[in-house]
Amino acid sequence: MSKVQQRFPAGPDVEVAGLVAELSGEPAGGRLKVGDERVVDFLVKFARKLLAPAIARRYPELASLGFFLRRGEIAKALSTMDTRGDALRFPRGLVFHVPPANVDTIFVYSWALSALAGNPNVVRISSRSAGAAETVIEALNEALAEAHPIIAQTQRMVTYGHDDAVTAALSAACELRVIWGGDRSVTELRKHPLAPNARDLTFPDRASFAAISVAGWLAATPEQRRDAVIGFYNDSYWFDQAACSSPRTLFWVGDDAAARVGREEFRTLLGEVVASKHFVVEPAMAVQKRVSAYGVAAQGHATEIRFDGNAVATLELVDPSAVPREWLGVGTFPQAALTSLAEFANIVQRKDQTLSTFGFSRDELVDFAHTVAGRGIDRIVPFGSALSFAAVWDGYDLLSEFSRLTTVSV
Amino acid sequence: MTAIVQGVFGLGQAEREAKLLPALAELTEHHRDHCEPYDRILGSLGHVRGAGFDSVEQVPWLPVRMFKHHVLKSVPDDEVFKVLTSSGTTGAEVSRIYLDKEAAADQPRYLGRTLQAVLGEKRLPMLMVDTIGIIKNRRSFSARGAGVLGMANFGRKHIYALDENDQPDVEAIKGFLAAHGDEPFLIFGFTFMVWQYLYEVAREHELDLSNGILIHSGGWKKLVDRAVDNAEFRRRFAKDTGLTRIHNYYGMVEQLGTVFVEGPSGNSLYCPDFADVVIRDPETWAEQPVGVPGVIEVVSTVPRSYPGHVLLTEDLGVVHGIDDGDWPGKRFSVLGRLPRAEARGCSDTFSGGGAA
Repeated sequence: MSKVQQRFPAGPDVEVAGLVAELSGEPAGGRLKVGDERVVDFLVKFARKLLAPAIARRYPELASLGFFLRRGEIAKALSTMDTRGDALRFPRGLVFHVPPANVDTIFVYSWALSALAGNPNVVRISSRSAGAAETVIEALNEALAEAHPIIAQTQRMVTYGHDDAVTAALSAACELRVIWGGDRSVTELRKHPLAPNARDLTFPDRASFAAISVAGWLAATPEQRRDAVIGFYNDSYWFDQAACSSPRTLFWVGDDAAARVGREEFRTLLGEVVASKHFVVEPAMAVQKRVSAYGVAAQGHATEIRFDGNAVATLELVDPSAVPREWLGVGTFPQAALTSLAEFANIVQRKDQTLSTFGFSRDELVDFAHTVAGRGIDRIVPFGSALSFAAVWDGYDLLSEFSRLTTVSV
Repeated sequence: MTAIVQGVFGLGQAEREAKLLPALAELTEHHRDHCEPYDRILGSLGHVRGAGFDSVEQVPWLPVRMFKHHVLKSVPDDEVFKVLTSSGTTGAEVSRIYLDKEAAADQPRYLGRTLQAVLGEKRLPMLMVDTIGIIKNRRSFSARGAGVLGMANFGRKHIYALDENDQPDVEAIKGFLAAHGDEPFLIFGFTFMVWQYLYEVAREHELDLSNGILIHSGGWKKLVDRAVDNAEFRRRFAKDTGLTRIHNYYGMVEQLGTVFVEGPSGNSLYCPDFADVVIRDPETWAEQPVGVPGVIEVVSTVPRSYPGHVLLTEDLGVVHGIDDGDWPGKRFSVLGRLPRAEARGCSDTFSGGGAA
């Protein structure tokens, strides 16, 4: 009754019960281990396909993925799984991944790390997936030809429609369910019970910010400032500024008068970068930006809205603590001045994920992290790295989440 | 009829703007005085209080979707007499339009004066191309129901062309035509329903609609599959049923009372004297020249209880000409809708209709 379409390995539609049975059985050639060489080999071959110039040019985000899965990077990640003392690390068991429909690559990171931890995996691929996701699935299937058969036996990516029976069966069968895609997805998926021993790893809605040190900006060379703006452009305009890690509000931290000068320069530079990248804002998106920006003003949270064409919009916030956390449309930047990062720490909420920064010293950022003390902001990264995925995400060490520890003491 | 037409579709563009500008400036100030969120928006955009306008194009506009997300009204809570809601396609988002008693009385008055231009002053026997169920079932009272009910006032001896199971009631239509088909009568319905339930039935049963005046609205999207556009709609009705007095109109709940009506020769919508349209370039937001498509802004001096006098719609349109058609002023067409902005965000596993 409840069939799923097999995308990887490509194959005929199958019953979900059969799929679960196959994944639960003992694979020929022995179960996967943590850091299994057969998985590493497969991922490295897959990464090479993503780094092929034709693909990397077309989908820069796949090139980033390819870099993430190079042999050296994998070894580095696996080295964090070494155990000490009495603990031994083992795979967690069947992992069910539910990625978002519209961020084409996040499912690969989630799946690849879980496979490296030695787990059998089922990934639900959206039927709306397109572009980069399709290319990923093609590359995976191509890489399979040279891979150990255990990969095909234990790693599955499937597509199915709005079929609660499939979601329920996979939820009941897995040891860990990984839910990307925001608050609504988490709530929806939680209607389907897990086995008592299983649990969820959830990635709900997040908000992200950018901060520039006024002193750091003043000290930077024109080239450094320009590079910072290019990094900021990549962070915010990719994924239409709608990824969890996309910075939205930009804080200028330090002397207010100097900040004003810096803001004008930043704005000019951003306009130049946007123009040089030929970024096009569709009319519907342009209207969306007006609706959002006017909305912030209507609520009394912004005093000045400026549009430089359709591509760059800025809003001067009345009070940094009333910072909008919702998506406002691509290239929409609320701005506020802060005297110090400590002031930002008071604003931070659990929902807040990434702070992209420019011009701060490491000590300043570490101090800030200590002040927030885990109440929010899981990542502090330099401009240009907001969207770079890492094995520690949303405060979780994913390889650790994807594995379990057995202790032996004598 | 000409005299009445003069009453509502009488002003040439220059004269119209000269009349509208002070009224729009006054309305803008009125809404700034009485709707704080609106005043904040205009303030944040740098619009100075009390500044007049040199052209309709200069008057600040609100995106129509603002009414879906914010309470924007220029009357105190205790004077709200009626709240209109739009039909969202998914039902998730509806506009809320606040009317006080005066505004609620104004709207049908303006609508009536506008429709008189094509209907004359007498109320005509009326064939409603809808089901009586649409107004009977109060619990599921919809925008379509409100539209049907609002329009019913302009006719008499109403007959509904569909039965309660949404099936064409051929006998009822034949009965209506037998009683009233020899004199002018009014037909009203939503465009796709008129096509699907009246045109096709009338053709099959060879009904004579030649004395009818059809008023219809709702857009052409559902008829695209059938390759029916406005010109084809008019041609086929004329050829197969004899119906030639056809007036499409364009309007929205966010500016209720104001409708832009298709002129007698067809294919152009005209602005009543208290209204105007500005077609904007979606890059610069300046007014497009005649013949260049853009986003439709609708302007009307009717909305006084909420700041809806200048609204940027999410429709695309084009002005065909100014002061060169059936009636004076701009004549334009609606070309379709702007596609919705969809973000490639993380938070959407379940958006777009489920776990697809």
